[in-house]
Amino acid sequence: MIIVFIILSVILIFGVSIYNSLIGKKNQVTNAFAAIDVMLKKRFDLLPNLIETVKQYMQYEGDLLTKVVELRAKAGTPNLSNEERLDLDKQLGSSVKGLMVSVENYPDLKANQNFLNLQSTWTESEEQIAAARRTYNASVTDYNNAIMMFPGSIFAGMMNYQPIAVLANTEEERKNISAKDLFNN
Amino acid sequence: MTEETAAQPSLQTVLNELEVQRKELSNLKTKAYLFLAAGIILIAIGMLLGSLVIAGAIIGGGLIIASIVFFSKAGQKFTDYRDQFKQRVVSAALKSIDQSLKIEYKYGLPENDFINSQLFTQRPDRYTSEDQIYGNAGKTQFSFSEVHAEYKTETQTKNGRQEHWHTILKGIVFWADFNKHFNGITVVKPKDIGSSLSAWISDKMPIFSPSGKELVKLESPEFSKAFVTYSTDQVEARYILTPAMMERLCELNDKSKWTISVSFIGSYVYIAFPLDKDYFEPPVFKSLLTTKSLDEDLSIIRFMYAIIAELDLNTRIWGKQ
Repeated sequence: MIIVFIILSVILIFGVSIYNSLIGKKNQVTNAFAAIDVMLKKRFDLLPNLIETVKQYMQYEGDLLTKVVELRAKAGTPNLSNEERLDLDKQLGSSVKGLMVSVENYPDLKANQNFLNLQSTWTESEEQIAAARRTYNASVTDYNNAIMMFPGSIFAGMMNYQPIAVLANTEEERKNISAKDLFNN
Repeated sequence: MTEETAAQPSLQTVLNELEVQRKELSNLKTKAYLFLAAGIILIAIGMLLGSLVIAGAIIGGGLIIASIVFFSKAGQKFTDYRDQFKQRVVSAALKSIDQSLKIEYKYGLPENDFINSQLFTQRPDRYTSEDQIYGNAGKTQFSFSEVHAEYKTETQTKNGRQEHWHTILKGIVFWADFNKHFNGITVVKPKDIGSSLSAWISDKMPIFSPSGKELVKLESPEFSKAFVTYSTDQVEARYILTPAMMERLCELNDKSKWTISVSFIGSYVYIAFPLDKDYFEPPVFKSLLTTKSLDEDLSIIRFMYAIIAELDLNTRIWGKQ
């Protein structure tokens, strides 16, 4: 009788701990995405300042600027899905990159202290977003491993947990960045 | 190169002067050893021959006393010689690498800083540190010191308590101003059986993680093979340990005989290099004038100086000037 009781309680503890760890891992994924979101917001907040500074100097890059302003406005709209936010950030990233390259044509702007600060903050935000994305991918891998491997897979089936895709770069981003292409945009 | 050639003659003059001191010291020490040996032999002969016990003891004792006097004189001379060596030769050697480099041979890394660096979890019971070298490489301020940290265990035996001393680190601790701002603590430890086990435990049961730090699973297989990483902030750990930084740390580790430990705290990076040799100590019985005498010291200084470039710490595009 006692032995049966011990075996049952061991199974119960084992089950509860797997169940809890799966939930923990799923929450970790949500949490990691929230970290990306915080970084994205930080980056979006940099934009008005950047646009103001650049506008005073760049007369001939109207298109690039308008695009950045538009994207900024879009990023401000509520109820965006995660995918939409990431997509916006991607477009924004490449537009600002284009802007930074064309700065070469404006020596006054290049020497502007405010602009230099913004430029380094922007670079920093890129690094932080990259770190947040890597954290997200690590949490996703951890979660996917847990739900696909035995015995977690049994529980995951019952809890209807599905694998989540990791964030990967698009084909376009994998190509080497060419300054010429950026100018032609 | 011009700096190096300019510094060379002064280093040579200093070496010539010190070589005279070294010869005196070496003669004194040789004399002391000879007197000691002769004294012991005389006493032994006296005892063997029986009749000459007293004569042997008197002359032998005299010689031994003389040798003790010589030894103590040599000790004083050695301290002076060593100080001169560090102050003048090592200083000049440092200047030949970078004008900003200086040595404070009596000071080292304070014990508190060693503990706060969190490179090692074991607190030291005995701690010595000397030969602090500091300066700048480009924009980056850095310093390194020789450190010997040990902890004690006691066992109960028949004859009472017995103390055992175990080394935590014997080698060099290097620190430098890191090129990015960060608030949390990230520690990179060598991967061995113990650390792998505690990494597994803290992964499965995060409650048991060391001092609130979480295990950070990084993507680089090469890095994860050599190190286990803990941090108070998962995102920040990856902000610091970019793929490029991981690769650089692996390269740095390959150059070291034993696996290094690295920590990132309060905008500084600390690196511990376990070594089996005391550096910056002058030779007594070997000439100072042979080129080899300074080679090892110079190469360790160059190695430490090159870390800044190797970890790319002078690149400051992240708002930290």
